[in-house]
Amino acid sequence: MASNDQADDVATYAGSVRAALSDLPPDQADVLLEDLEDHLREVATDAGGSLAERLGPAEQYAQELRTAYGVAHADATRQHPLLRDVTVAISRVTTSSWYRQVRAFLPELRPGWWVLRAYLLVLVLTRAFSPSTNLHPIPNPFSSRGLLEIVAAAIAIVLSIRLGRADRPLAKGGRVLAIGANVMIALIAVPVLAGMGTFPSFAMEESGGSGQQEVGQPLTMANGALSNIYPYSKDGTPLTDVLLYDQDGRPVTLAQTVPDPMTDYPFAADGKPITNAYPLHQQHLSGAPVTAPRVALPPWPAQSPIVTPMPSPSPSATR
Amino acid sequence: MASYMNQAEVDPTQLLKGVLDLAVLAVLAESDSYGYDVLRRLRENGLDHVGDASVYGTLRRLYQAGALNSYVVPSDEGPHRKYYGLNSRGRKALDQSAQTWVSLSKALNHLLNGRSNGHGK
Repeated sequence: MASNDQADDVATYAGSVRAALSDLPPDQADVLLEDLEDHLREVATDAGGSLAERLGPAEQYAQELRTAYGVAHADATRQHPLLRDVTVAISRVTTSSWYRQVRAFLPELRPGWWVLRAYLLVLVLTRAFSPSTNLHPIPNPFSSRGLLEIVAAAIAIVLSIRLGRADRPLAKGGRVLAIGANVMIALIAVPVLAGMGTFPSFAMEESGGSGQQEVGQPLTMANGALSNIYPYSKDGTPLTDVLLYDQDGRPVTLAQTVPDPMTDYPFAADGKPITNAYPLHQQHLSGAPVTAPRVALPPWPAQSPIVTPMPSPSPSATR
Repeated sequence: MASYMNQAEVDPTQLLKGVLDLAVLAVLAESDSYGYDVLRRLRENGLDHVGDASVYGTLRRLYQAGALNSYVVPSDEGPHRKYYGLNSRGRKALDQSAQTWVSLSKALNHLLNGRSNGHGK
């Protein structure tokens, strides 16, 4: 029927107009185009001929709308140019086909998130209940705590998946709450993950926090945290209270493994702790002092000449 | 001067643009109306060059600016019609714009008469 053609004509024309105005901020476009279709239907029913014949090309119509609406343009220019560019860029991204494909694919990742959030929750709770434990990505199943963590994670994963599969019809408030809880878990997990495998260095901050020096990045080595330094003299005598400084003259301090072993820092005359005197005096939680490790000292050459990098000319050669 | 007149003659929509708000407000001051009807009434009053999109866009802008109120009138055959009417803000805008227009047109008439008189003499 003719009315069907007319509806098609209106839909096509309105679609072209909307497309031509797609760069407008969505809320403005909504306000402007709110009853475009109704209006075009009115125009179409009034007299014969297609809308394009009667109103001109849709792009031109859109341009005229833009000019008449004015505010859209004024707003766009009142915006910071950068903000406008960003808005245009965002709208370009959100209307692109790959974005829609990614959007469509994201829901498929939901079960993955259900598993992950349960794992993260257990991680966060473990950290909350025992702040001093060293967290590992996969807990050691042969320790009671690790086993507990694994069992807790397994239960949490099952519950999380059941929750995920069941939460389809949620009231609006419940939905907000659910999204909030998920975001919360993700956010709290970030610092916990960041601290994973290293102990927090709050002992250092406590002892060095009186502002006597900036607490730099704790010194660590590739094969793990450095907990102490044992200096020896050349002849193999262990040295004590050797003060170490870095290339900038800052005291070299170590990340402290709390709670074991504990470090007793000597105090300077001004009452501030000296944190870079090595070896550090440390003791285990049991009270036993940390003993120096056995070290293999390198064998030096027999005599100890003053080593010069350049071979000095022999007396015979000069003669 | 001649080139200016030519430009104005070639593109009356430019002249119209400035006063379309006033024209639309004046039409709505007579009675509430919907977009297509506003266009029809403007054209009946001799504003032949008004474009459909211009009227639609102007109505949406005035409404957005808080000068108009609107209500939908459902219809059995044909689409729903969104009627627009002046509110107090719109009436105030109309009064002010009308005053501006009157003084502007007076000044322009004076200028144009002076010019034609000058040419006549």
